[in-house]
Amino acid sequence: MSTEHFLEVQGLKKHFEAGRPALFSRDVQKVHAVDGVGFTLRRSEVIALVGESGCGKSTLALLLMGLEDPTAGTIKFEGQDITHLNDHERKDLRRKIQMVFQDPYESLNPTQTIEEIVTEPLVVHGFANVPDRRERVVKAMEDAGLKPAEVYMSRYPHELSGGQRQRVVIAAALVLEPEIILADEPVSMLDVSIRAEVINLLAELRITRQIAVIFITHDLGSVGFFADRVAVMYLGRIVEIGTMLEVLENPQHPYTKALISVIPVPNPRLRHERIILKGETPNPINVPSGCRFHPRCPVAIESCKASDPPMVTLSKTHQSACLLLVK
Amino acid sequence: MQTTLQNTSPNKTASQLFNFWESFKKSGTGVVGLYMIIVILILAIFAPLIAPYDESSTANVGISDIYQPPSAQHWFGTDDAGQDVFSNFVYGARVSLTVGFFAAFISLIIGGSFGLIAGFFGGRWETSLMRFTDIMLVIPDLPLTVVIVALTKPSLFNIILVIGLLGWTTTARVVRSQTLAVKSRKFILRARAIGASKPHIVINHILPLVMPILVVQGVLVISLAILNESTLSFIGLGDPSVLSWGQMLNYAFGRGALSSGAWWALLVPGLGIVWIVLGLTLLGQGLEQVLNPRTDTHHLMPSRLPLSKEALVKPLHQNTLFEVQNLSIHYVGEGKAPAHAVEDVSFTLKEGELMGLVGESGCGKTTLMLALLRLLPSAGQIVNGKVFFKGKDLTSLSEEELNEIRWRGISIVFQGAMNALNPVRTVGDQITEAVMKHEPKFPKENIPARVTQLLELVGITADQRDHFPHQYSGGMRQRAMIAMALACNPDVIIADEPTTALDVMIQAQILELLDNLRKKLGLAVIFVTHDLGIVAELCDKVLVMYGGVTAEYADVDTIYNNPKHPYTQELLKAFPDLTKPKKKLSSIPGYPPRLDALPAGCRFAPRCPAAFERCHTEQPALHSIGNNNHIASCHLVEASK
Amino acid sequence: MNRSRAILNKTAWAVFTILFVIVLNFFLFRILPGDPARAGMKDPRLKQEAIEALQVRFGLDKPVINCFDSLNPIKIGNCNVNPLETQFFIYIGNLFKGDLGISYDTNRPVSEMLSERLWNTILLIGAGQILSIILGMVFGILGAWKARTLVDYGSTGISLLFWSLPTFWLGIVLLFWGSANGFPIAGKATPGMSSYPLFQQWGDVLWHMFLPTLTYTIIFMGEYTLIMRSSLVDVLSEDYILTAKAKGVSAFQILKDHALRNAMLPLVTVIAINLGFTVAGAIQIESVFSWPGLGSAVFEAVERRDYPVLQGAFILIAVSVILANLLADLTYTYLDPRVQVE
Repeated sequence: MSTEHFLEVQGLKKHFEAGRPALFSRDVQKVHAVDGVGFTLRRSEVIALVGESGCGKSTLALLLMGLEDPTAGTIKFEGQDITHLNDHERKDLRRKIQMVFQDPYESLNPTQTIEEIVTEPLVVHGFANVPDRRERVVKAMEDAGLKPAEVYMSRYPHELSGGQRQRVVIAAALVLEPEIILADEPVSMLDVSIRAEVINLLAELRITRQIAVIFITHDLGSVGFFADRVAVMYLGRIVEIGTMLEVLENPQHPYTKALISVIPVPNPRLRHERIILKGETPNPINVPSGCRFHPRCPVAIESCKASDPPMVTLSKTHQSACLLLVK
Repeated sequence: MQTTLQNTSPNKTASQLFNFWESFKKSGTGVVGLYMIIVILILAIFAPLIAPYDESSTANVGISDIYQPPSAQHWFGTDDAGQDVFSNFVYGARVSLTVGFFAAFISLIIGGSFGLIAGFFGGRWETSLMRFTDIMLVIPDLPLTVVIVALTKPSLFNIILVIGLLGWTTTARVVRSQTLAVKSRKFILRARAIGASKPHIVINHILPLVMPILVVQGVLVISLAILNESTLSFIGLGDPSVLSWGQMLNYAFGRGALSSGAWWALLVPGLGIVWIVLGLTLLGQGLEQVLNPRTDTHHLMPSRLPLSKEALVKPLHQNTLFEVQNLSIHYVGEGKAPAHAVEDVSFTLKEGELMGLVGESGCGKTTLMLALLRLLPSAGQIVNGKVFFKGKDLTSLSEEELNEIRWRGISIVFQGAMNALNPVRTVGDQITEAVMKHEPKFPKENIPARVTQLLELVGITADQRDHFPHQYSGGMRQRAMIAMALACNPDVIIADEPTTALDVMIQAQILELLDNLRKKLGLAVIFVTHDLGIVAELCDKVLVMYGGVTAEYADVDTIYNNPKHPYTQELLKAFPDLTKPKKKLSSIPGYPPRLDALPAGCRFAPRCPAAFERCHTEQPALHSIGNNNHIASCHLVEASK
Repeated sequence: MNRSRAILNKTAWAVFTILFVIVLNFFLFRILPGDPARAGMKDPRLKQEAIEALQVRFGLDKPVINCFDSLNPIKIGNCNVNPLETQFFIYIGNLFKGDLGISYDTNRPVSEMLSERLWNTILLIGAGQILSIILGMVFGILGAWKARTLVDYGSTGISLLFWSLPTFWLGIVLLFWGSANGFPIAGKATPGMSSYPLFQQWGDVLWHMFLPTLTYTIIFMGEYTLIMRSSLVDVLSEDYILTAKAKGVSAFQILKDHALRNAMLPLVTVIAINLGFTVAGAIQIESVFSWPGLGSAVFEAVERRDYPVLQGAFILIAVSVILANLLADLTYTYLDPRVQVE
């Protein structure tokens, strides 16, 4: 199987109905949460999906996990179309794609012990009675950095620190030996001093277990050192995608440029001019005409209002959707 | 195929029960209620042993036995039929408990399943079930019960059935909202992502968190059912073949107990009902307290006056706006070790200066800021040190004097502006309040213009002045808070994590706004944050706190380029730097100390890579380095001097 | 969704609920054992002419509804009858004309009997609600303000006790006490008062109201105190209270301008939900003190098996409660700017 087509997403869309604009209006408004997203993921690759709230990154995560049904587009995993599987067909697939959530305080059931939490995926997938069940649980916990596992097994989530809880979530994902981990803002609720430990853990897993990671975040800074590629999202679309260095050192889309310029640099000697965009990300109900970024774009030209820019290929790995790049 | 988790050991249940009992014991009312119920249970179970006379024995009753006052023979006197009131009372407990338990059982089954189905499945199920519940909730219970019981035979069975069938509405609502609350939590989404089926999720994740609420609700429903039965009996719709407490009251009231002055026949059964209902209510309160521990403290409770051991009454430095000297703050809880939230912190702030206060959650930075304005919660107390503002000692001022300085001299922007603005008053109104409070001479007709001007300063248009906070976005609310903080031209603004939880671009907008305002208006700002990047971008000097103490205090360049404290050094290594994208981040092992269980020596020693023996036994003092006002509390610094 | 739409929605649901109650009422009296609607015709207390008038007025010789001649026992009938010629629609029609039937006991029209009683009940409930809400708020505010002091513990303890009292029993106890202390213990007025000047008549009514209103107030103020206290403590621990404090607003002003309105919201909800219990309280209190209201009408109707009165009283009570509930809902909409529907 080609490593190129490990996970392939094409033209993915999700529109939610948002009620009627007025009491007797006929047309139903739509939230264009995800509006045509495409990218591919290689085996054991780390891709970062970066964007502000309202850019559709969390909806995209739910679509990839099969927790929401896409309006259009396809998702292929190892060549197989998995866009519209039912729960039964999806079950085997769920073992291969696991998710880690933003808030480790919220993503653990307070009434379960750590052992129950990490064992649960095995029970759900019918491995409750396999002889090596306990070994698998112990291995997953220790791989997630909960060493020795016995110490943690009979504890409850509230007895652990934030970083440890996030490790429990990761252990519960590892126990099924997944091939992809989808991490939705996994460190934004953690203290600075322990963020690195979770990020380092994910970075290690790709090496030790060949797991690919889709890392969703609003903070470009936090993914800098371990993502292979970065995709920047704005209002339901990917506006720029490239290798980490291409995007960070040579951003082409005005939105990416602005986003990178406002990331605080922890060195007062490197204070620099920031590109601060006015206003806020527009409501995804009324997507602006033409290029959806034009109302806030500092370098917009007249034609941006009318035509929706296509993805422009800048290098083999680097693409960006901006009319200024169209020659 | 999917079943409950089989590894629920008996140990787990036992330890959960034990934990539950431990926290339940703390609520005195709950324990009292439990004992009250146990007394009634004993009466009911052992009725034949306790009651001196048989149930409704009318043998050998003569006219002279009717309404006899309490005596040695009849402890609580006799009733209209000459029967022993105490015996009837004891047997009556059986009826009340029977009705209560069975009717409540029916109500809980119906209400519980309606609530669970509506909450979990949502959609049409929810709409139709909850509409039905709402309708049934509005239709008055008792009249409907009366109508139905009056039309059918008033047997105990019918009464239980009707009370049970009509008493489920509140349970359905309570269970539904709890189910919704549990369902919206992320661990449900995680279970779905694992591939768990709906029955698995309901059994393993929803029910364990809904059951406790159902138990509390059950206690309440039992007491209502008992009250309802007694009311029905009193109205004359009781089962004539059983003598419940309500029935006893009905007979006594209807058959001349009042005119005969037989207060005992009325008092005793009534007290029985009060006893059991009060017991259940107290029990319910106790259980509720275990589920939702409430501290019952609030912001208007009297605060503790500062203690001050220092004889110092004068600021040390000249020309400072703020001067904080050796400030220590403790939290004192009943029966708990005091938490040393802030210990021996000093700093100064000059006009137009921007100081960053950096630390992780729980390091005492918010406590310190609240103490500057004397806004500590009632458990917090300044136990040592002084806070001088423009030469005035804030720790010795009265509440009235403080109110003059608050907002006019020092204003504060809180984290999470959603809750920091009153949801039922317009934003403009809340800014107006500040202006009117501190500038009573300001012409009233000019206030709206001033408020508009303040809002425009932070980029909010005039037409949004009279909007409510929920109509603003998160970034706008934070900017409105800043506009409000500027309302009385303060000298200092304290900004407590004003950009946490906001998007990077909105964060940049607000930081730029604060920076511009400082330049334009000459404001001094204390910026509290955990984000080292923001501090480097914005601040003139930095105070790094760890576990309630000053780790390091210096100008911004020194902190980033010549840090002396290992905590500062490690924190910088853990912080991602986009200019060095290839650099690997390092984390600090372990986690910050709990402020009520501090290590003996240096508070950072357990996590410190450079710690040596002394660090674990002796708290380091604050050492100054060079003469640049650079301070660090570390034994290594002392050694290197 | 905007506020006017929310009001429209709530009103529509209140109307729907009233219709539901009307239908429920009709079928309850025809499905439950004995078909009291018909059995009543044999009631020996009814005069012959009244029976004939009822036959015509309620169409008791007609089928209950299309396809059913009777529901208890079930008798299938012709489905092709004119719906307007069935008991159901005749009942609905009569209801809209304000005709609730004729009392078996007094042979008077039920609507006439109940309309005067309705006002007595509203007077009693109104006075009791206002007093208990005011007192509940006062003690609740006091308890929250002085949280974790003796004042708080005392007011919470007494409230819990009040909450646990059976209404009718408290009525009896106060009746016992009142009769020993010269209070009027029954009825609404002293016989023969009608010849006195109006203000004296009113004074007499107030004097008679004393014990029932006292009972009512005690029963309901406990719960209001508890709700007010806990919701005020919640509000006072919100961040915006801290903001107000930081603004230099005095504690009293904070309470008045920032806390009370927000703390009222849960209280209004509870008052709305309580309206049903309010009526239950009225039935018991009126029965104990022979207050001539709807509640004692229910009590007497049960005693005398006077079904038309029971049916009429139920409709009247239910509709009043639904309307009062709507009023409370709309008050909430007014108090909370965040109110939205779905």
